[in-house]
Parts: sequence; structure tokens; C-alpha cells
Amino acid sequence: MDENAENNGEQVNNKAEDTEENEGELSVDDLRAELEKIDIEVPEVEISEVNIQQEDAYAEFPVSYKENTNKEKLILAYAENFRRQYVHLYRDRKPLFLNPVNECGIEKFVSTTIRPTLLPFQELYSYDNCAEFVADYLEFQALDPPVDLPNQLVSPTTALKSQKGNSFDFGTLLCSMLLGAGYDAYCVSGYATREICLMDQTRDVCPLMKKKGELKSEEKKKEMRKYQVKPPKDLRSKFDLKMQARKEAEEEAKAAERRKEEEARISEMEKPKPDALHGLRIHCWVLVLSGKREVPDSFFLEPLTGNTYPTEDDKFLGIESVWNHQNYWVNMQDCSNGCKDLSFDLGDSAKWEYLLHSSEKPSLEIPDVEAELYEGLDDDEEEQEDDKHLEMPPSWVHPILVTPKEYETRCPLGKKTILYKKARLEKFARYLLKDGMITKLSVYDDYELKNLVSVKEWFVNRQDKLELRVHNHRTGLITEYKLQGRLDCMKEHTYKSGSPGPETDRAMVFYDKARVDGLVKREETPTEMTEHFKDRDDFLYYRHVVFSKRMKRFGASTDANHRPILKISERFHRNKEKSAGEDVSERVFHIAEDRIQLTFHCEDNRVTASTREFIKPPNANDKSQTITMTPDMTSTFQVDTTKKSPKNLYIYNMLVSLVEAEDQSIQAIRGSEEEIKECLLERIREETVSELSISVYDTERNEKAKQHRKELERQQLEEKLRRQEQELDYLAPFLAQMGDPDKIARQQAFKLKEDCLADLKQRLIDKANLIQSRFEKETQELQKRQQWYQQNQVSMTKEDEEEYLAYCSEAMFRIHILELRLNRHKEMAPHKYMALEQKIRTDGRLSDYF
Amino acid sequence: MSRLYDTVEPAVIDEEMLQKAVEEQGPRDEAGRIAKQEGIDFADVLSLRLDFKNILKIDNLWRFTSLTKLQMDNNIIEKIEGMDALVNLVWLDLSFNNIEVIEGLDKLTKIRDLTLYNNKISCIENMDALVDLHVLSVGNNELDQLENLIYLRRFKQLKTLNLSGNPFCDDPNFKHYVIAYLPTLQFLDYRLIDENTRAAANEQYTYPIQQLEHNEEQARKRIEDQEAKEAEFNLHKGAYVENLNGSALFDSMFADDTEGPKLALLPGVDELLTGYKDKYTAICQQIFEYGLKEHQRRGDEVSGFQTAVDEAKEDNRNMGMRKINDFNEYRRKMFAELAQSSDQGHIDTSLEQHNKEIDKLWDSLMALEMQLVDQLEDTIKEFERNMADMVSTFVENVQALISQCRDLENTHNEKLLEVAIVTLEKMVKNELDDELPDDVRMLFVDKDTITNAVGASHDLHLLKIDNKEDDIITRANNWLAALMERVHNEEEVKRNRLRVSEINNFIDHLREEVETFEIQAA
Repeated sequence: MDENAENNGEQVNNKAEDTEENEGELSVDDLRAELEKIDIEVPEVEISEVNIQQEDAYAEFPVSYKENTNKEKLILAYAENFRRQYVHLYRDRKPLFLNPVNECGIEKFVSTTIRPTLLPFQELYSYDNCAEFVADYLEFQALDPPVDLPNQLVSPTTALKSQKGNSFDFGTLLCSMLLGAGYDAYCVSGYATREICLMDQTRDVCPLMKKKGELKSEEKKKEMRKYQVKPPKDLRSKFDLKMQARKEAEEEAKAAERRKEEEARISEMEKPKPDALHGLRIHCWVLVLSGKREVPDSFFLEPLTGNTYPTEDDKFLGIESVWNHQNYWVNMQDCSNGCKDLSFDLGDSAKWEYLLHSSEKPSLEIPDVEAELYEGLDDDEEEQEDDKHLEMPPSWVHPILVTPKEYETRCPLGKKTILYKKARLEKFARYLLKDGMITKLSVYDDYELKNLVSVKEWFVNRQDKLELRVHNHRTGLITEYKLQGRLDCMKEHTYKSGSPGPETDRAMVFYDKARVDGLVKREETPTEMTEHFKDRDDFLYYRHVVFSKRMKRFGASTDANHRPILKISERFHRNKEKSAGEDVSERVFHIAEDRIQLTFHCEDNRVTASTREFIKPPNANDKSQTITMTPDMTSTFQVDTTKKSPKNLYIYNMLVSLVEAEDQSIQAIRGSEEEIKECLLERIREETVSELSISVYDTERNEKAKQHRKELERQQLEEKLRRQEQELDYLAPFLAQMGDPDKIARQQAFKLKEDCLADLKQRLIDKANLIQSRFEKETQELQKRQQWYQQNQVSMTKEDEEEYLAYCSEAMFRIHILELRLNRHKEMAPHKYMALEQKIRTDGRLSDYF
Repeated sequence: MSRLYDTVEPAVIDEEMLQKAVEEQGPRDEAGRIAKQEGIDFADVLSLRLDFKNILKIDNLWRFTSLTKLQMDNNIIEKIEGMDALVNLVWLDLSFNNIEVIEGLDKLTKIRDLTLYNNKISCIENMDALVDLHVLSVGNNELDQLENLIYLRRFKQLKTLNLSGNPFCDDPNFKHYVIAYLPTLQFLDYRLIDENTRAAANEQYTYPIQQLEHNEEQARKRIEDQEAKEAEFNLHKGAYVENLNGSALFDSMFADDTEGPKLALLPGVDELLTGYKDKYTAICQQIFEYGLKEHQRRGDEVSGFQTAVDEAKEDNRNMGMRKINDFNEYRRKMFAELAQSSDQGHIDTSLEQHNKEIDKLWDSLMALEMQLVDQLEDTIKEFERNMADMVSTFVENVQALISQCRDLENTHNEKLLEVAIVTLEKMVKNELDDELPDDVRMLFVDKDTITNAVGASHDLHLLKIDNKEDDIITRANNWLAALMERVHNEEEVKRNRLRVSEINNFIDHLREEVETFEIQAA
């Protein structure tokens, strides 16, 4: 059988070559006749069960999925020929992945299964997003057995539909998208480690946890200047220094040793278990070559995870072949060393054996002996030579389609969980969860994922602009990161998970540009509060408050029970408009001690700063009394002894303004406390509501827009119905009575008119009667009630009376309306009658007679 | 308002009146009491009101140097005077007086609001110093020339103007004229100028205003050019090479020379002079360029030195401040502790410890200062050496170049003498064809006369060259001496004294505090 097949193959081979050479001369029929022999081989591949499984779906597939065109048949034959030669020449090599069957059981060449498509999503223009999309969208099914090539390769459209596939399906889809986006991408069939093949990432660090490459702090090169003061003399003993340095070096070395050991231990622990099938596991991934789309270096894209790897990565163990939508290359290089030493110059035919000789590919400019030979001949021959190259037929796959909804849902059912080393990553589709979570990363400190360290949750479209929440289970701290645009301008909020209420440990960071008071950060502990400011007009940048325990108050208190303030310190930046000696740098209100301490700024060439201290007069806080001052209430230290001391008036004014400032500071602190409370209340409310905002451009979810659209549709429908109604024939019932005559005689016409008018008249009268009777009924009722009321007026309760009065006014209203309607009807009836008569007169069918 | 001024005795601004006004308008209540107790210094008063006082002459205000607001309305002042000391004045009210001429405001450059309402002013003038004027009120005066308002165009900040009640207000074009010619105005005669009126006014006066603007633009450009030139000249002067980028020196050599022009008339001297001038100017140009280059180098050197010194000072200052901060922290803690404690023994040991700490602080601060002094001394020495080298090189090179000039002059002189002798010989032989003026002919009476004439000219030229050389060298050396003097004085002596006294003052203060504490505790 085998031999037979080979013979047969040989024949086909010859034939194929024949076709190739004499294509111009062959008619299609001949070709078909020749190719029939090839087709016979197809059933040998076991595909029947696949066929049966998808019996019902089979009908739905387009024709191109179920049949092969001539060109495709030709390429299949050519490929088969290639395979035979390959097997013949390289007996010890594994079979090539050339002609798998598709979902309809038809053999298709792998290159034609790639359908370059650019999807209409902005994000999918870059390779990493494409890879991520493919990895998210499809569910992975491992190859079975892992060392054999799959028999079947479904089209990307089918893979998208069923949302599952093996690595080859992943690779084909990703390659199609990358080619569509303009990358120089190839599917690669080869061998990889077990972890890659089985999409096992439990040994990898989660990409979200990787620290961003620490910015290399640019060492500011200190300009070598001509003048430089000499550093002060070092008076320490050189020997001591040396000994110390040696000691430190030793300790350093020891520590390094320990670290190394530790690292070795960990890496030993993390090492995967030995794999019996190492180097045999078949895998398919994507190669992106440099050149197009400004890709600087070639790299591998792993379609199952969406990760990128350099081509030297040791996880990829070898390459059998690569292909894109135009050609197929077989690797001729030694892969015993993994992919490290491979050259990806596909034009080098010594390293890569091509299937189709195509002029499009970059090829090494090796002078072709044959070509030169032909050159001597006439031009016709040469043209034929060009034609002789077999072209890759266009893809049989239909364009890849992804609807916006599908794109948004991404993972099957909108959920996906990936396990990493000591971490679990969960992805959710937008709007899937009520609180808007899209990503959740749980970090553990053991490999079995039992000991939770921290949880990070990312959100989108939250009305409260929450973007990220980090819950550190070790310290119990929760940090929430918020986007700009909140009313309270909050940026970060850190608090203890155990005590979310006010007056506990917390830190809030704000968008200071958006705040009127320029607040950057507010930190709180149970007894202290620190606020940092930026760019304020009054140069304040720091305020620290110490509270004491709240006093217990008995009885009803009108104002809120504030914690008493012990001390307020405020620090200010230098105000260049004042002289340093008058510009306060720090002021401390010792409220409990009734003391105020001022420290002024240092002058530019000074090291000491002037200070001043006030003892607050006892009646200072009483607004109605003026502050009195005595000289012993203040003490000072003046840096500049030559300057005369300021006048008492100046000092007095300072004191007055300080007393005022103290009041203001206390106000501000109370305001801050209030704000914290409000913030917390607001947060609780937001958490319970957790509304998601919907973009006005989101036609799917924007309820308002949707309603509006539906309303418009409904209106249109109604309009349509009304128009239909208008077109109703008012004569139809009367014509029907006459048996719908084709032509209306004079007699009939008159009768028709009379009937019609009489009918209207009757209806008008009926209507008038109806209104009349209702009117009378109401009046009677009212009269009855009135009588009843007069009889029982004395014994009535207030409520009954009110009820009666209400009824009366309502009844009067109804009666009034009925009266109006009746009058109007009486007025309108003759007009209606006349109008109908006029209409009948001008009616096309009766106009002959009137 | 008609008052019979003649019947009322005019008041004089005297000590009593000022004192009263200041006290009345000064602080109230407790602040007033304190102020009264220690007396108010006129130099501290910011605002003063002297209205309805029947004042005739502004006088005795020179002590109010920080005054920003002065109200002298409703008096009988006839002349604006005696306000040159009030340089900080922002707000000046002289309404309802008898002023006829605007004057005496030349020192009041900070004025923003000026009120001259209801006076007898007939011309707006003498206000060039008021560059920051925002509000001007000259209503109810005797202004009758609309053209006079163009004067107000120089006030770029003028927003509010009151002109009502002047004779020219009856002119039908008045409003449009004002609005068109004063585009910065927002309020005229108490009213906001609306856009329609502004547009109409602009349309009416489009052409004259364009003309005016053009002229102003040109004037501005001229001034700018002038300034640029002046700046350049100053730069050259700073480099000691002013007027050397041309033939100015050469020309000056011949300017005072009486014989030179006469000799120039001799045959052949003309070409001689042209060649001489070209070469001479080339050398001058060389000196000029060299001078500018050296000037630049010197500037770089000085700024490099200055940055180094500033940095060292800043570092030192930061270190000192850190030390003081640490100490303050320690002191704060200690006193807080002492306030809690009542154990006398503990207090004593703490205070002792504190005193030790103070000594330590003094030591370290002084050590820092000494260290800085050493560092600066070295740097200054190096700087001085370099600068001296630089200046002496500069001087030498200039001297070399100038001596080239001198050589040229000598050569020229020799040639001239030759020509003169030849001419003399010719003249003696009567072979001279050219007609020479009589005074030139007079030189050729004999050989001595002509030699003397040529020699005198030569001497004069050499003198000029010498003068220039001296000038450059002296100025360069003077500059260096002044610079070094300043550096030594400021960076070494003054700074050091200031710092040492500061440290001592601080330490004294600390000790004093401890003592008072001890007294209190005891």
C-alpha cells in the first residue's frame, strides 16, 4: 500500500511538474482529469468522525469551505509532491504540517487557511493587543497526543465562532490578524516546553506584578568647573577606615553568598519536574520578523498567552517549518540547541527550503545559473519562465468578523482566570460585574495559592471614578486610586480595612490642581492630622494638628462635639515680598497652653532664624472685648542685633492678627474633619450604589439613547398605521352590502350616498344621546347626594363633609365638561354631515352622477 | 461752591496739625493707646488726610516717606510742590483746590490714582513720571484743547478718566475723540465705555490715529535703536576698547594736528596716508576684537568663581542650619521633659547637659565657619592669581599691538619726511609743478621748518597713541584692583564678621534662656 502510494505520488509528482511546465497549454478539463488521481488519496485521512460531528453545522459552511478550486487542488498536489521529496530526502525528520483537513473534512493547504484581516478596532492595530485578544478570546484545548501534529486545522472564522482551539488554531488566527495589521508574521510549527504547550504559567511571574524597569536615574554629571572649593580635611585615621572598609566588604560578601544560596534554593524549588516528552511536544506559535511596522528585532509571539519572547528564548526548542499566507518554508538548520542560533533570513535557501519559488520574498542575490542560461534565449521563453511559478491561491476562509459586543465580551462568558506563580489573575468583561471590576489580581506567598498577601482590583466606568483598589492583607491597609473628575478631587485613599470610620489611621491624596485650597495630602491618625498643601497664595504648605481625647459631655448639646485641639503647627514657604525677618516660616499655636510661637525665615546669608513667642491674653477669644497687651506677653530672639526692635504697635497688630489666624486655622481644621466625614459617607453610598457610567457613544448600553431610538421606531410604526387607517375606504361597507359591483349605476350611487349619510346621521345622533344620558345621570347623582347631605348635615363628621365637598366639586366639573362636549357636538354635527356629503360628491367612483 | 478765600486766614501745615491728623486717623482702641504711648513716627504713616483745612501751601511733608495715600482736597492750594519726598505715594487727591498748573509730580513714580477735580488747570502736562497711572480725574477744570488729550496716550495703564465739566466737553466730537485716542480706557466720566461707541469712535478717527500710531512706532524704534547702540558702546567700554572698531583713533590723531593736513597736500602723501590708514585701522580692529574676547573670558572667569563661592557658602549654610535644627529639636524635647519633672536634681543635670550641648553647638558652628573661611581663602587666592595673569596678558598683548601702531606711525613719519625733503629740494630747484597753498609753502622756507613741522605732527600722533594705551591699561588694572578689593572685603571680611556675630548672638540668646529658666525654676 505504502509503495503504491509512493508510486502514485511519484506519478502525481511528475504530473504536477508537468502541469507546472505546460500550464499554458493545458485545458481545465485535462487538468481536472489529471488531478482526479490526487483526490483519491484524501479519504485516507481519518476525518469521518469530524464530519459526522458537525453534520448539521456542515450545511452552514460556505462553498469555499466544502470544495477545493482548481488552483487549490494544484497547490495541494504540489505540496504533496514536496512532502514526498522531503520524506525521501530526510527520512529521519518528522512529517510536515502541510495539508490538514478543515472543519468540513476537506484538505486545505495551511497557507490558504490564513486570512489576513484588519479588524475595525483601534487597539488591534498593535501586535501585543492582537495577541492578548486571541489569548483571551479562545479557549485552549491541548493537542492529543501532544507529540503528534493535529489532523485538522479549522478556519479562523470557525475558531472564533466556537471560541476554542488548539495552538495551531490560535496561531492561524493570530497570524491572520497580524498580517492584516501589516506585520511580517509567520505561523511556526515546532517544539516547545511543556509549560508553553499546555499554557501552564504557574511558573511565570504575573506580568502585572513585574516592576517597571526602574528608571535609571540619570546621574547628573557635575560640571567640572575651574573653581571648586576644597573639601574639608578628613581627620579620621586612614587605617581605621581601611579596616572598617574591609570588614564591610566581608559582611557584604557574606550577605551576597547567603542571597545567592537563597536564590539557588528558590530556583531549585521552582524548577519544573522533568518532562518525559521534552523536545517532542508539538506547538504552534507566531514569528514576527523585523522590518515592517517598525519592528526593530524579530520576536516570537506565544498565541496561547499573548506573551512575547525573544527568538533566543530557551522555551522554544525547535522549528520544523514556518508559513504565511504566501509561502511555506522548511527549516534546514540544526535545532539541537533550541532556537538560539537560528537565522531567520527566509531568503537563504540553504537554511530555509521554500515550497513556492516566489519573487516577492527577499532572497539572497545568488546568481541563478539557469536564469543566465535562459537569458541567452529569446524573451518569450523568459516570460514563460516567470509564469511557470506557481502562485499561492487566495484564502478559502471568509473574512474574520468580530462584532463590537463580542470584542468587548472577549473571553468565553466574559470571564477568564489565569494562574501565575504565587498569583491568580481574573479577567472580566466590561459591565459584566455590577461593580465594574475588570481585573483582579490576587497575590499569595506560597505556591499552592493559599496564603493571601494582597488583592488588586481594577475597575472601569465607575461613576465614582474608582480605578484601582489594593487590599494588602498583611497590613490590613486598603488603598483606592481614583481618576480625576470627582467632586472631592480625591486621588488616593488609604485606610485600614478594619476601621473605615473617621478619626482613624488614613491617608488621602488629592489632585491639588483641582482643589481651591491646594490640598495635596491629608494624613490622619486617631490623635493627629497632617495636611500638605501646594501653590497657595498664603504660602502655607504644611499643617499639623494634635487632638486630645474627646471630653464626655452630658445633657443636650447644640453643636457637634469636636475633639479639643491641643496644638496646631503651620509652615509657610518664603514670601519674597516680605523681608525674611518678617516672613513667618512656622507658627505653632499651643492652644492648650495659650501660647503662640513664631519662627521666621532665615535670611539668605544667615544660619539662624528669628523667633517670637506670645502668651495669649486671657480674653483673646472673646470677640466683644478688645485685646489688651502688656510687654511681658511677648519674648523674642532677633538675629540681626543692629536692627532696632519693632514698635509695640507692630507687635500688637501681630498679636491681633495671630489671634484671628488661630480662629481661622481652627475653622479650617473643623472643615477638614467635616470633609473627611462627608468623604467617608459618600464612599459608603458609592459602594452600595456602585453605578457604572455609560458613554454616550455606547449604543448598546446607553438606556436613554436606546429608549429614544425605540421611541422613534414606535412613532414611525404608529405613523405608518395611521396612514393605513386614513387610506381606509369609507364606502367599503356600503359597497359590500351591494356585493361590490364593478361599476356603480346611477341608482346605486344615490342609494349609496343616502345610506352613507344616514349612517353618519345615526351615529351623530347616537353620540349626542350618549353624552346627553351621561349628563343626566351625573346631574341626578349630584342631586341625590345634595339631598342626602341636607338631610344628614347635622350628624356628619368633618371627614364626611370634606368628602362630600370634594365629590361635589368633581361632579360639577364632570357635568360642566359633558355640557361643553354636548354643545360642541351639536355645533360640529352639521359640519361633519356637510363634509361627508361633499366628500361623497367629489369621490372618484360616484362623481359621474353628482 | 463759592467761598470767599480772601476773608479766611489760610492755614499752614505745621507740626501741630500733622500730629493731630496722624493721631486722629491712626489706630483705635487698644492699638491707639499703645501707639499714643510710644508715639507715632511720621515715617511709618501710610495714609494721611488733610482736607477742609484751608491749606494754601503744601509743606512740611518730607518726613512721611512711606506715605501711600494723601488726601488734600477742599483746600486753597495753588501750586503742587513739596512732595518730592513722598516717593511711595499711590493715591493722591488734590481736588477742590486752586491749582492752575500740573507740576511737581516728577518724583511720584508709583502714583496710580490722581485726582485734580475742580481746579483751574488749563493744560495736561508734566506728568511723564507717572508711568503707572490707572485713574485720572481732571473734571471741572479749564481744559479747552482736545489735542491736549493726546498727551495721555503715554499712560499704558490708564483705565479710568474723568473729564466732565471742562470747556471742551461741549464739543460734539468730545466723547468719540477721547475714546478713539485713548484705547486703553474702560471708563470715561463715570461710565463704562460700551463696544458700540468704541467702534463708532474708532471709525471716525481711523486715519488720524493710524498716522499717530505710525509716528509713535517710529519714535519708539528710534529710541530702541539708540538704546541698543548705547548698550553696545557700554559693552565696548567695559572691554576698554571703545571706538577701536574703526578709524576713530586714527582720525583723532589728525584732529588736533595742525601741520598734518598741510603736509597731506604734498604730492605723494595722499597715497601714503591711505595705505597708512588702512593698516592702522586693521590693527585697531585687531585690538578691538581681542579686547571683546578677553572681556568675555574675564566675565566667565568671574561668574565661575562666583558660583563656586556661592555653592560653598550654600553648602556650609545648610550644614549649619541642620546643626541648629538638631539642637533646637533636642532643646524642645529637654524643656518639655523639664516641664513635667519636678526633681531638682534631674533638672540640674539636664541643664548642665544643655549647657554642654550649647558649647558643643558653638564649637561646631565656629568650626564650620573656620572651615569655610579656609576654603574661600584658597579659592580667592587662586582666583586672584588667575585674574592677575589674565589682565597682565591682556595688557601685554594690547601693548604689543599698540606698538605695532607706533611702528606704523614711525614708518609713516620717515616716509613723510622723505617726501617733504624731496619736495623741499624740488621747490629749491623750482621744479615743483603743483600749486601749493601759501601756508603750506610757508613750511618750505628751509629744512628745519619742514622737519620741525613733520616732527611736531609725529609727536602729536605718538602722544595720542600713548594716551590710548595708558587709558586701556589703567582702566584694566583699576578694574582688577576694585574687583579684588570687593571680593576680599565681601567674601572674606564682611561675611565672616557677620556670621561670627550671628553665631555668638544666637548662643548668647540660648544661654540667657537657660538662665531665665533657672531663675524661674529656683
